[in-house]
Amino acid sequence: METYSLPPKPKNSLYKKVKRVIITLLVIALYVWTFLSIDIDWGRAIERAISNFHRVIPKLFNPDWGATGEVALSMLETIFIAFAGSLMAAVLAIPLAFLAAHNMMGGKIFSTIGKWILSAVRAFPDLILAILFVVAVGPNAFAGVLAIAIGSTGMLGKMFSEIIESIDMEIVQAMEANGANKIQILFYAVMPQVIPEFLSFAIYRFEIDIRASSILGIVGAGGIGTMIIFASNNRNWNEMGTILLAIIIVVTVIDFASSRIRSKIV
Amino acid sequence: MIEFNNVGLVYPNGTEGLKNINATIKDGEFVVIVGLSGAGKSTFIRSINRLVTPTSGSLLVDSEDIINYHSGDLRKLRTKIGMIFQNYNLVKRSNVLKNVLAGRLGHTGTLRSIFSLFKKEDIGLAYESLKRVNIDEKIYNRADELSGGQQQRVSIARVLTQKPKYILADEPVASLDPPTSHQVMTYLKKINKEDNITTIVNLHFIDMAMEYADRIIGMRAGEIVFDGPVSEVSEKTFEEIYGRSIREDDLRGGADES
Ligand SMILES: Nc1ncnc2c1ncn2[C@@H]1O[C@H](COP(=O)(O)OP(=O)(O)OP(=O)(O)O)[C@@H](O)[C@H]1O
Ligand SMILES: [Mg+2]
Repeated sequence: METYSLPPKPKNSLYKKVKRVIITLLVIALYVWTFLSIDIDWGRAIERAISNFHRVIPKLFNPDWGATGEVALSMLETIFIAFAGSLMAAVLAIPLAFLAAHNMMGGKIFSTIGKWILSAVRAFPDLILAILFVVAVGPNAFAGVLAIAIGSTGMLGKMFSEIIESIDMEIVQAMEANGANKIQILFYAVMPQVIPEFLSFAIYRFEIDIRASSILGIVGAGGIGTMIIFASNNRNWNEMGTILLAIIIVVTVIDFASSRIRSKIV
Repeated sequence: MIEFNNVGLVYPNGTEGLKNINATIKDGEFVVIVGLSGAGKSTFIRSINRLVTPTSGSLLVDSEDIINYHSGDLRKLRTKIGMIFQNYNLVKRSNVLKNVLAGRLGHTGTLRSIFSLFKKEDIGLAYESLKRVNIDEKIYNRADELSGGQQQRVSIARVLTQKPKYILADEPVASLDPPTSHQVMTYLKKINKEDNITTIVNLHFIDMAMEYADRIIGMRAGEIVFDGPVSEVSEKTFEEIYGRSIREDDLRGGADES
């Protein structure tokens, strides 16, 4: 058999090697420093975990079926919050994505502004947003919807703009060449290329938002999180078991449905 | 009629795409542009529908200088010039009919087109066009379900639906095998004759140029180095255009197979 001899790989320069070593050392130092400075009493932590384990875990596996109705309603609210929030985000993300995509609006300035807006939005953690909206619109599901909407807009906008940037621009050129105007090009060359992917990501985001909206209630933004906080304050671990079960079932079903739907679309 | 008068085109990076081009293309002609890669064939063709903009000289289409055209004028100009590309450029996920109707966009109002409210006669025209290139049975298939040759025929149907006065084709057969290439060229030629549509095609296969062209324009380094009827063209002409002897891969072959 013939043997091939590949050309030698380019050697990493000394500078690169040194840089890599320094970065590794810095990361290790950072870890050590953090753990030393947070001062955990490991003995006590473990002891407590073990004793609570006995009191809590068995009850979690023994759900309080009496609470089923209430939990189901709450879970439904959670799903609605996630749905309304991700729908709103998907709608908001579209114009921002077109602004941020470098191959649309025709300008580096627009695209940079768009990308800045999107990163600024992404910088807020969902819970912080939820707290802000609870303060702004009161402790109800609407605060949750807004928190999810804004939280998801950043990610969806970024995804959408990357999808727009990856379209085949030759098709756009083909439409230009037959005399189509900008709006017609949008509808006939751009949309057909991006809509299925947009949908797929919106559904994926809805999947994430179900999880996010399950905990928003902890800060009073509606949904099943409110029940979580009550159950844990009352040490009602049986009810907590029901809640967890509900979340697990819903998340699994939606994950499954979402991946089925998404594989159909694209 | 298309008239190039001392047309030059310098790309922003300084590359000279066209140098002092003079040529007149009369209505109904079938012109093939040949030349090596980088000779400026695409630049020549794309100047005519202003996908690129010449930087000097004047370029008349139907006696109007198009070099300074802007949005409105430009769309009107492009509406009467159909273009065919090497990569077909169909919207893969849309069906054939929708792709072909896209050829009608220049003639259709914005609102109508957003809601896909094409006129009855436009839809009829689209179907007729598909029939003319023998692909009407695929009308409801998605474009990506078709072979390369079928996709190129759909793109010809799209251009026909546009009812253009001119057709520009930039390497329309470069991605196709020999028999399919001949089929596509045969359709282009037939349309040129039947509808009297002026057709300008970039090709780099000598034998195909000879078989289908009425007139050949040879380009090298942005200049026209030959311009004449096929009857005046010999192997030696091509050697002059290419600046080297003719090789096997300058020929498409397969003329008999189609
Ligand atoms: N957008 C552009 N910017 C800068 N230079 C360009 C651009 N397009 C083409 N050129 C250059 O202009 C010259 C002519 O290119 P053109 O595409 O017209 O050649 P061609 O004859 O069509 O070649 P091919 O057979 O490879 O398609 C080449 O040197 C090319 O590199
Ligand atoms: Mg070219």
